[in-house]
Amino acid sequence: MKKALKCLSLLMAALMVFSLAACGASAGGETNSSDSAASGAQQSTASSAGSQAPVTLTFTHMFPAGDTEGNAIAFRKSLDKFKSENPNITINEEPLSHDNYETKVRTLAAGNELPDIFIVKGSMTSMFIENKLINPVDDVINRDPEWKEAFLQGAFDDFVVDGKSYGIPFQMLNTHLIYYNKKLFSDAGITAFPSNWSEFTDAINKLKAKGIIPISLGNKGNWVAESCILSTLGDRYTGTDWFKSIKEKKGAKFTDPEFISALKALQDLAKMDAFNTDLNSIDNMQQKTAYYNGKAAMFMEGNWAISNVINDAPKDILDNTELALLPAVDGGKGDAMANSAGAAWAYNVNSELKGDKLAAAYKILKAVTDADYATVSVESNAFPASNPKNIDKSKLAPLSIKYLDLAAKIKPVPIYDAQLSADLIQVMNTGLQELLIDGISPEDLAKKIQAEYEK
Amino acid sequence: MTSRTLRPKNRVIAAYLAPGLLIYCFIVIIPLFISLIYSFYNYSGGASMKFIGLTNYRHLIKDMDFWGSFKNNLIIILLSMVGQIGIALVITVFMMSKLLKLKAIHRNIIFLPVVVSAIVVGFLWTIIYNKDFGLLNFLLKSLGLESLIIPWLDNPKYVIISVSMPIIWQYIGFYLVIFLAAIQSIPNEIYESADLDGAVGIKRSMYITIPLMSDTLKVAVMLCIAGNMKIFDHIYVMTGGGPGTSSMVMAQYAYINSFIMFKLGYGSAISVGILVLSLSLILLSRKLWGGKNNEA
Repeated sequence: MKKALKCLSLLMAALMVFSLAACGASAGGETNSSDSAASGAQQSTASSAGSQAPVTLTFTHMFPAGDTEGNAIAFRKSLDKFKSENPNITINEEPLSHDNYETKVRTLAAGNELPDIFIVKGSMTSMFIENKLINPVDDVINRDPEWKEAFLQGAFDDFVVDGKSYGIPFQMLNTHLIYYNKKLFSDAGITAFPSNWSEFTDAINKLKAKGIIPISLGNKGNWVAESCILSTLGDRYTGTDWFKSIKEKKGAKFTDPEFISALKALQDLAKMDAFNTDLNSIDNMQQKTAYYNGKAAMFMEGNWAISNVINDAPKDILDNTELALLPAVDGGKGDAMANSAGAAWAYNVNSELKGDKLAAAYKILKAVTDADYATVSVESNAFPASNPKNIDKSKLAPLSIKYLDLAAKIKPVPIYDAQLSADLIQVMNTGLQELLIDGISPEDLAKKIQAEYEK
Repeated sequence: MTSRTLRPKNRVIAAYLAPGLLIYCFIVIIPLFISLIYSFYNYSGGASMKFIGLTNYRHLIKDMDFWGSFKNNLIIILLSMVGQIGIALVITVFMMSKLLKLKAIHRNIIFLPVVVSAIVVGFLWTIIYNKDFGLLNFLLKSLGLESLIIPWLDNPKYVIISVSMPIIWQYIGFYLVIFLAAIQSIPNEIYESADLDGAVGIKRSMYITIPLMSDTLKVAVMLCIAGNMKIFDHIYVMTGGGPGTSSMVMAQYAYINSFIMFKLGYGSAISVGILVLSLSLILLSRKLWGGKNNEA
């Protein structure tokens, strides 16, 4: 009896451990070979039958039906229009929310089971290319001048590897904007948004004296501090040439004094209590709550938060909300109007697609990225990667108009997590969490990032 | 198994076992070996794989983040042993008391958290620990104990203790049920004769109940080690391993390497590392505990 019990217990313990190790392996296995063979066969028959042959495509994206974000609304409208105009093309959609989508596409890519059409993040492109999961899109775009001309300048930058673009962008993000409450600012005796760094720290001290959290930050997801603050703050110190040199591995280092100064400036903000004390345990949705309650005077997030503020903020807060950028820093090499911007995400098609399927896939992608899409998108208070044809400004919320005015003056510079590789970003993001609670010095963090960069 | 006539033919037994075994092989054994193979490659998912021998393991041995997360696992195991098994044992002893009324209700309420999904428990405790709206800070404030308030999930010094609490809270009921079942298998005659000899109350528990349960306790310790070596979801929800890596556990480190950083080969090596460490911990605990007894 005792022995049996022991055997059983050991077996159970081993079982529990095994089940974990098994988690580490992806179920791989299944390949698309039969699929591609089928499409090859279809191609030969279909090309003789003409372009109206039925085509079925799978499409995984991040725009679920109930999403009120502007890009999602525009996507749904454009895709519905496309479906009614092209009854021969069946699209099997799998919509997921943003964060779930990111997890899913990473997992599918790792298992080599990507759908026919999907959205890829700038930092994933190098891994996708290495595994031959995607092909460049330049040829297709160049063949269609009208489509090509509509794209904003720099929209493709996040997806360019060795001079070729590996994605068709649909949005233009400015990942850094300061949303501030002008009433709280004037109550604290600050008349205008600070234009240099010492005024900025003065303003923070004044707000603190009033018992207001100067900057609300929710960095639990660990990308906010890097994507929404450091990408721009870093450029203020280093200038854009430094980043180019980093990306192309031409000699710049993360241990360069300029980058360390940027890290130091961020840590100094944290040390002077510019942020809330629970910054690492709340997320970017929660960082807005303190702002909506009037407990915080500022928060820093990208332009996607504009539609959140319009839809969720109480009216008096919304009316008092103004937009600004980080002020210039002393001795910085960057432009004071520079702002981390890019498309971050872009569409691409599975590299195994051929013939009619491939043509149909690009046709769909044109419908959800061209100037018509952009028009709908802008009118839904979102910011597409193409120029809209003509917009009815009366449809826009006042905050969107404030943003468009500011955006016209912005000089786009790279977003770190859209252009650097995923493993480097992970080290940087984890380190920033520690930096913000004084768990690591700027110099040590810079060394850590550099070590990962050199791997 | 005493009567041979009732025993089905071996073929029949094999047929009944086959489906379960096949499924088990397919979802546990085979992936385990695949992941062992991956761990020798530089593999980022997809088609390109490069054989690099033991390089992943060489990195693993020098990887301070991995050993840091192993240390966190050990802390959680230690706290869980004291918390889960200890508290469950105390409650079991109380449950045996004749003075306790409505035993079934107590048992059910204590067992309830076990059936709740770990994700839900994580979210629940994230809200409990919240600085402004959290139940914990609210309680401390209303008791006039503001001085005890600390940033529960933000201070790297205490965060690992903070995240252990929900894990302990959730699984007390699980061990309680195991212990109650074990106690029921202790023959009543022993208690009766103990009563005659004057062993009552705490003495009865110390000299009769606990010694007779020692095998069950060993199983519980083993389950505790195995369960906490692969702990993941609670911490993933509550802190994501942060701030920095201060609440990172091994399973999450494997996940981040595999699916966030696209180092599937290295992630597999970490998984194998977890397997080796877990098995050695369990064997060690058996050696320490079962050393004096004569059975294997």
